[in-house]
Amino acid sequence: MSVTTALIVAFVYVVIYNLDNLWLSWQCLSRPIVIAPVAGLFLGDFRTGIIMGAGLESIFMGISAIGGSIPADPTTASIVAVAYAITSGGDMETGLAIALPIGTLMTSFSGILMPFFSSLAAYWEKLATSGNIKNFTWQVIVVGNCQTLISGAILFVGLAYGVSGLSSLLGSLPAWVLTGLGAATSMMLAVGFAILTSMIWSGEIGIFFFVGYILARFVGLGSLQIALLGAAIAITMFFSEKRIIDLKNSLDSSASASKGDDFF
Amino acid sequence: MAKTVLSAKEKSILHSMFLRSHLVFTAFTMVKMEANAFTISMAPAIEDLYKDDPQGKIEAYRRHQNFFNTHAVPLSFIVGLSYAMEKEHVENGSVDGKTIESIKAALMGPTAGMFDSIFFNCLRVIAAGIAIGLCSEGNILGTLIFILLYGVTQSITKYYFVNWGYIYGTSFIDTVFSSGLMNALIKSASVLGLMMVGAMSASFVNVPLNWVISVGQTSVNVGEIFDSIFPGLLGIMLLFFLIWLIKKGARPTQLVLGILAFGLLGALIHIF
Repeated sequence: MSVTTALIVAFVYVVIYNLDNLWLSWQCLSRPIVIAPVAGLFLGDFRTGIIMGAGLESIFMGISAIGGSIPADPTTASIVAVAYAITSGGDMETGLAIALPIGTLMTSFSGILMPFFSSLAAYWEKLATSGNIKNFTWQVIVVGNCQTLISGAILFVGLAYGVSGLSSLLGSLPAWVLTGLGAATSMMLAVGFAILTSMIWSGEIGIFFFVGYILARFVGLGSLQIALLGAAIAITMFFSEKRIIDLKNSLDSSASASKGDDFF
Repeated sequence: MAKTVLSAKEKSILHSMFLRSHLVFTAFTMVKMEANAFTISMAPAIEDLYKDDPQGKIEAYRRHQNFFNTHAVPLSFIVGLSYAMEKEHVENGSVDGKTIESIKAALMGPTAGMFDSIFFNCLRVIAAGIAIGLCSEGNILGTLIFILLYGVTQSITKYYFVNWGYIYGTSFIDTVFSSGLMNALIKSASVLGLMMVGAMSASFVNVPLNWVISVGQTSVNVGEIFDSIFPGLLGIMLLFFLIWLIKKGARPTQLVLGILAFGLLGALIHIF
């Protein structure tokens, strides 16, 4: 694929991805049915883009099957398949086959970088509580949008120069680095939960943390079901607390009333 | 409940919060997920409510920098509701910071599931069904209908959700406050919040231990032993170890970098 085409593809990918996931949070424009026509428009064959969008959307929704394995990321796969079809007149299956290794590489690289971007969480907290919220806001937006540039660069290099260079770069990393970064990523959520739990924990009701844990882990209930059970407990608790408050109020008033009697 | 009439200032704050609540996945981290978006969405309200109270402002930002995760649409409702709670916190002091956190924690899990079903599993499939038919004939109208049905509807819903969260949150808090039951509400909200945090920890917190000790002919997987004692025991241990460190005054930076180093070192000595 020519360097110009690869550049256009990477550009469309970054712009649509950021607009859809970071600026609108719709997760709608990066679906095949939207991104394929957009890619077609930029590559000079709008109609092919639209028609391929329909086919690709059916594949990724599981409506129509296709031989072989399907790339995990519909956005990358669709855009590469459309670019391939328009520039070399190939069919959708070949385009998807080209997209597969590129998509895998993009996933691997973002997996490697995720723990580093996640480590910024501590920096974000510091910045948010520094008193200068404008500074926090623009830094979050700039860093968030720049993260996509890495995937865009991999997409560009993969299309223009092939995936072998990137694969060997990835292969030169020792295996323990990849395993370690993966393990760190999956344990990092514990930090977020530890901060949250330590803020709302109190000894008197701490046991309910474990009730929720057991319902999710052992009983396998979904969060809506657990929330309904929790609401039942909370409502019962609310009314028993209400009774105590009412009782306390009536005791107070009768106490003050009897005090009044003594006085007079 | 009396009908709440919004002042011009409240309207403009809510409008700004509505626009900002679109940044849900910006600078998403594996530590706190959508916390950055929540902070940015709350900023207009916090800046206004705490303009004379720098210490309270920092506390409020710390609250809304905590772990947060739900579907993009209900985030707006929780943002609006948090505005109502923060206002009550500033004006009457009856809702404490802990309660605000508990209510946020209680809402994020169930709303995520509910709105995934409504938007991703239902509306998206219907919209794509219509769009595929039109697009396969080369008609761009299909794509436009898809954007309208699946994308624009999310923003319209968000607009109403921010306002409803604030209006109904305010009138609900007023009712509870005037009936003198705020303490009862605070206690029951924290029970529900803590229970949902426990439920979410069960599905999110994970220690991928893969440590095999070979003794002669046999080998033992340490991770499996822990799981056979109590599923997810290692995750719980890690969580409470981190909570203990936080109580001891550990900074988030130290915890995050510690986890990163622990992951790499663990992999180097083959326990992951």
